[in-house]
Amino acid sequence: MADGDRFPPGTAVRTFHHDPPHHTRLPRYARGKRGVVVEPEGRAELADVSAQGRGDAPVEQVYAVRFAARDLWGEGDHHVVLDLWESYLEADEEGAAR
Amino acid sequence: MARINDVGGTEGFGAVDITDDAEPFHADWEARVVGLLGALRAQGIFNTNEFRDAIESMPPREYLAASYYERWFEAICTLLERKGVIKPGELDG
Repeated sequence: MADGDRFPPGTAVRTFHHDPPHHTRLPRYARGKRGVVVEPEGRAELADVSAQGRGDAPVEQVYAVRFAARDLWGEGDHHVVLDLWESYLEADEEGAAR
Repeated sequence: MARINDVGGTEGFGAVDITDDAEPFHADWEARVVGLLGALRAQGIFNTNEFRDAIESMPPREYLAASYYERWFEAICTLLERKGVIKPGELDG
């Protein structure tokens, strides 16, 4: 699978919902939330693993993912775009059907 | 529970101060902390993500009471002990 192919632009995704006991780049307000992939942003070492001082941090695709403010906070007409590593995301079949 | 640094979307902290501050440092020690961090990273003692993790791991009360560079210094001390560069308590007193 080529870089950025797993979640092409427009793919509905959902973020993970656990609370890692280490540094992560997925903020609390965006956990377990539905968003849409804007575009791939290139590959980068997974910060969550390198933050633990481990030398085996995988290099993953990072995606710009757009969230509607009302999906994050229940209100607001704007959007929030976050750069998120691939392993933070799963395809959101339900969201895709909406 | 998320960590104390993770306050995005939380109300009550007021507006973000975006004033263009001409002075990068407000005390000499702050500049020294920046130099110290650069030197330690260049030596490969720890990486940037470990540094961020150490800041985020501060006890919430201490984190909120500390200034920006005080957090940096606290994290550097934590990592130097964790990596065995200094002994626990070596910087005390």
